[in-house]
Amino acid sequence: MDHFQEKKIPIIKIGAYLIVSIQVDMHDKLALQLQSQILNEIEKTGAKGVLIDISVLEMVDSFIGRMLSGMASMASIMDAAVVIVGMQPAVAITLVELGLEMPGVDTALNMERGMELLERRMASINDE
Amino acid sequence: MEENLELSNVKERIDHIEDVLSSVAAGELDIRVKSTVEDDLTGIEEAINILIDDLTYELKQSINMQNDLQEKLKKIQEQQKTIVQQQEDLMELSSPVSKVWDNILILPVIGTLDSQRTQIMMENLLQKIVDTGCTMAILDITGVPTVDTQVANHLLKTVTSARLLGADCIISGISPAIAQTIVHLGIDLSIIRTKATLQDAMIYAMKQNKKSGIVVANRIQELEEGEE
Repeated sequence: MDHFQEKKIPIIKIGAYLIVSIQVDMHDKLALQLQSQILNEIEKTGAKGVLIDISVLEMVDSFIGRMLSGMASMASIMDAAVVIVGMQPAVAITLVELGLEMPGVDTALNMERGMELLERRMASINDE
Repeated sequence: MEENLELSNVKERIDHIEDVLSSVAAGELDIRVKSTVEDDLTGIEEAINILIDDLTYELKQSINMQNDLQEKLKKIQEQQKTIVQQQEDLMELSSPVSKVWDNILILPVIGTLDSQRTQIMMENLLQKIVDTGCTMAILDITGVPTVDTQVANHLLKTVTSARLLGADCIISGISPAIAQTIVHLGIDLSIIRTKATLQDAMIYAMKQNKKSGIVVANRIQELEEGEE
């Protein structure tokens, strides 16, 4: 258990958002751990958006893909939007070939665009 | 026929026939059986000679045919080379992705789509989206005569993959024939944004740009920097 905690992926809180940058190869246990970690953090900080940067991931298997889309729906019922940021073309093709089209998950080209997307979303929510 | 066949003579002639046959088997086709006297054995000797003649003729013909075939094979191989070369050229030419406006990419598709081509097209488009950072991509299929299940599927995949990267993909220029086929095939394109013409798609993309405000902001910044 200690072994995995050493490899914890950092979750950074900026304003109302959480930023998660995945910079190590994901294995299933780490993915599950990250999922509960992020959900706990959303509860603790009351964050309205989560940006997950996967630009360094060169390979995403079906498990990680499902984990990501699952997390998006979990976070959305906790009133936080998840934006997946910086997906590599090869990863996108793989996911689509695997049939994991991730409906309902927002995506952005890079962190900046992701942030803008969240800002826009927040603005439209505030307008309502 | 008289009984004048001497045993030693017969043995000699049979030996001779045997010699000739083994020479022929070894490939010497000029040799024939020589017979000096006419008797019972002459018939056999002549028959053997005729056989050798036939064999020579057949062999010559088969060699000719072989040569012909080899020539044809060479021709076909050359043609094959040309075809492969042209296919490669076509692949390179067939999927240009160009940036036409701030934040807008266009991929005009012309000609028949097959799996391999769509695959390359998709890879090109996605790579270009990442390279340029454009979030609107227009897939113009005005120049595509027909679409089958597989190709429609590939188009769907392209749009979905682009979405995963964070880009919006619009398909424009769907002809009546393609619309009919797609609906008859039972493919659901309703999740994809489709526009009638490239113009409509451009207008939509530019409106979308304005809505997001990113590009306008960048433009203004650039203009201000230019003035300074």
